[in-house]
Amino acid sequence: MTWRFRVPRQVWVVVVALGLLLALGWVATQSGPLAPIPVTVAQVVRADVAPTLFGIGTVEARRAYVIGPTAAGRVRRVLADVGDSVAAGQLLAEMEPVDLDTRVAATTAAADRGRSAVAAADAQVQDVRSRHTWAATEARRAEALGAAGAASQSSVDAARQAEQSAQAQLAAAEASLTAARRDLSRLQADTGGAQQQRGNLRLVAPVDGVVTARDAEPGSTVVAGQAVLKLEDPGSLWISVRLDQARSAGLQAGLPARITRRADPLAPLAGTVVRVEPISDAVTEERIAKVAFDRAPTDVSSGEMAEVTLTLPVIRNAVVVPNASLRHRGSEQGVWRYVDGQLGFVPVITGVEGAEGTVQILDGLQVGDQVVVYSERDLGDRSRVTVVPALRGAVP
Amino acid sequence: MISLAGRDILHSWSKFVFTGVGLGLLIGVTFTMAGVYRGMVDDAKVLLNNSGADLWVVQKDTLGPYAEPSSVHDDVYRTILGMPGVARAANVTYLTMQVRQGETDVRAMVVGFVPGEPGEPRYLIAGRRVTRSHYEAVVDVSAGFAVGDQIRIRRHDYTVVGVTRRMVSSGGDPMVFIPLKDAQEAQFLKDNDAIVNERARTADNPALNRPGVPGLLDAIEASQTSGHTVNAVLVRVASGHAPDRVAADLRRWKHVEAFTRVEMEDILIAKLIATAAKQIGMFLVILTIVSAAIVAFIIYTMTLGKIREIAVLKLIGTHNSTIAGMILQQALWLGVIGFAVGKIAATLWGPAFPRYVLLEPRDAVIGFVIVMLVCVLASTLAIRAALRVDPAAAIGG
Amino acid sequence: MTSVDGIQIEGLSKRYGEGPTAVDALKDVNMSVAPGEVVGLIGPSGSGKTTLLKCLGAVIEPTRGRMTLGGQVIYDGGWKIADLRVLRRDRIGFIFQAPYLIPFLDATDNVALLPMLAGQSNAVARARARELLEALDMAHRASALPAELSGGEQQRVSIARALANRPPVILADEPTAPLDSERGLAVMRILHQLASQYATAIVVVTHDEKIIPTFKRTYHIRDGRTVEEALR
Repeated sequence: MTWRFRVPRQVWVVVVALGLLLALGWVATQSGPLAPIPVTVAQVVRADVAPTLFGIGTVEARRAYVIGPTAAGRVRRVLADVGDSVAAGQLLAEMEPVDLDTRVAATTAAADRGRSAVAAADAQVQDVRSRHTWAATEARRAEALGAAGAASQSSVDAARQAEQSAQAQLAAAEASLTAARRDLSRLQADTGGAQQQRGNLRLVAPVDGVVTARDAEPGSTVVAGQAVLKLEDPGSLWISVRLDQARSAGLQAGLPARITRRADPLAPLAGTVVRVEPISDAVTEERIAKVAFDRAPTDVSSGEMAEVTLTLPVIRNAVVVPNASLRHRGSEQGVWRYVDGQLGFVPVITGVEGAEGTVQILDGLQVGDQVVVYSERDLGDRSRVTVVPALRGAVP
Repeated sequence: MISLAGRDILHSWSKFVFTGVGLGLLIGVTFTMAGVYRGMVDDAKVLLNNSGADLWVVQKDTLGPYAEPSSVHDDVYRTILGMPGVARAANVTYLTMQVRQGETDVRAMVVGFVPGEPGEPRYLIAGRRVTRSHYEAVVDVSAGFAVGDQIRIRRHDYTVVGVTRRMVSSGGDPMVFIPLKDAQEAQFLKDNDAIVNERARTADNPALNRPGVPGLLDAIEASQTSGHTVNAVLVRVASGHAPDRVAADLRRWKHVEAFTRVEMEDILIAKLIATAAKQIGMFLVILTIVSAAIVAFIIYTMTLGKIREIAVLKLIGTHNSTIAGMILQQALWLGVIGFAVGKIAATLWGPAFPRYVLLEPRDAVIGFVIVMLVCVLASTLAIRAALRVDPAAAIGG
Repeated sequence: MTSVDGIQIEGLSKRYGEGPTAVDALKDVNMSVAPGEVVGLIGPSGSGKTTLLKCLGAVIEPTRGRMTLGGQVIYDGGWKIADLRVLRRDRIGFIFQAPYLIPFLDATDNVALLPMLAGQSNAVARARARELLEALDMAHRASALPAELSGGEQQRVSIARALANRPPVILADEPTAPLDSERGLAVMRILHQLASQYATAIVVVTHDEKIIPTFKRTYHIRDGRTVEEALR
């Protein structure tokens, strides 16, 4: 009877004290640094790996043309505008002839004058030639008379001298004629040149295409080589894709491509790699590939960005793990294998990696091994772990 | 001899327990503050550990990349790789900025990393690692994003493919890991209006826009919009080499500064966290004083309520030490209850804090000792009052 | 039983203060109580009866005189006992105006506390407590807390406590003040019975007219002086 009041109260106290102690103990071992680390594990299986290469590309034209004058001048008229389709040979623009027309006239007149000079020289030659013929005849006659003793030696010499003189004059006249002819060719060439330059003032389209830029208006002065218009062949648009050098193994012409234009991300297009550039970008450490559209869309513009995914051949039945299980310990890459509640670090050699995160293991693991995929904290050789189905706080 | 303190506690146990719980909450706050400081130090250590680096190579004469801005050419890593003792070297960029998801904005540290190299998060809690070279991101869980979310950084959208934990900057901002080139563009490329403005200025400059040199203006504009710098190069030292030696070799170049793990810890903890540590230290002192005052007040009040009984006890022949012992025991039991409640409360509400709260067992032991000492000190006031009671007061009413 | 047992007071004086403002609360008081005797100490307030009780209870030091309790001289111009606290614990029992029980101990432990303080084991102390409570007809309420007892029951427990260490002397300060006449007389009957049973000398300070007739001898005190009066 004496104990009736004491027991319940003391029992209360013991219960509360035990409860507090247990709570403290739970707190100490289940949270904070002493608690085991929750991890998830996965089995190593065989599966297909579909590796892909990914790069960002810009749409550009295979061939682009810059239409401009070969000499500095002023633009006279521009006949095409941005967006116009033009045909090969179509006149697109014209430069101011300035003094070219007068120059052409001048050279033509000079050529005409040259022709007259040639005619004159020719006439001269005829004249000298006839005189030479007569001097030769006279010389022969004098020689015959001299031989017969009918003429004096001096008259024979005089006749011979006259013949030589006439011969020299003939040579001179023929030389003048040649010179006049050469002069004429020069002047004719000049005329041809002036006319060609006049012709260069006409800017024509070299191929069928679409005008992409109109850089000079009538009246503006442009230098040689400066663009008045730019031209592109729309059918020759392709994508210049840049791929990280480190992640471009297997890049070659012929790979199928999936192209997602930034302008229209919901409608991916198909394409193929047509060329891998022999020169890569050493500064950005990227390789460059040219990808052509299988069916070129009509509204694509050059300079557009596109994301290109190249599909490499599928590796069948490879030993794979999720790439989240790849860890580093020191400088080695590997996975943490979970065997009988114990962790062990296994260095691995990886092969190809699929876009969805499976990676091929070439050496180090076998099918059926269990590896740690996710962990709440970094793992070490002496970490205590507990396997859970999913980690707290990670929304699937 | 029965325990007077025990009997008194048993008799008014509810009052005692309530008081203990109240005191415990105050002690819990104190533990949490200490945990916040430990968490900040741990954040710094984890930041350094999880980068997987042994050396940080930054701009000369800076304390970067965390304490100060640092800018290094992105091709420096190639020559670092060629130095003896270097196993791996990789570029990283760090930039604290707003990351948008839908309508909400999160302040995050955007980290540009090279997959497979130092700088990548060491473990994930969900999702997978980045497999594409652009527009994929791994985020820290404290950012609030989940696998599959689309987030916007500057001018591009990124898909969250993986989630990690404990990857926060020294300021407590969650980290978002994106491929290095995307991060370089985010850091160094300006917005569209600025670019257009820049182009117009360049075109107006006759020295740069020469009509006689077609193509010059385009080349200049292209060079203006490309950034070839990063914030640091992370280096892993080959086994068998001392990080200090390799760091010394790197510094001899005269163009870069190199810090070992120990030096980075010192920079982060001594310089970045120093002010916060002082604040928290002051808070802890104030909280301890307040706790002591509260315990003193409670015990004193409880003792005053027993003045009559204490006079009677003294009169009928109880030792002074027995009475003092009763008061002291009560104070100590109050402290024990307070400590238990405080420790449990701090553990339960710790994860709800925006910053990481780390409660170490060592701190719990030190905290227990301090709580006991505080209770002893606080009870001296009441003990003094009790000892001064005149037993004669019991007679004569 | 010799005449030195019980209480012997000779020439006890107590002066408060010094010089012209000094007050003589007790002037040359003589008193003697035999073991087993219950004596009344009657006087108006301010007459010094409380001071006399405090001197007897060794809580204040008299100025002059001689006090003998239970055959032991405790004061003779100065305290003759080293540890007054032990004296109070073992040799004097106190009964107050109010019961002043320890609220967090039940009746048995309230009584057993004194023997425990004196060094007895808990079992022995509790046994004695139960014995005393039985004598006071409180055995059925032995494990009740003071809050659960009526005023009269609490008073009886406090009487049991006063007797717990079998002291030779009991000092009672207005023990019947909170009680009605029937209860008060009952308390006096118990005191008389216990006094003779345990050979204790009991001094009862009172101004309750109703119980005065229960004393065989009383001391009247006025202005610090006592006058003995035998009633029967």
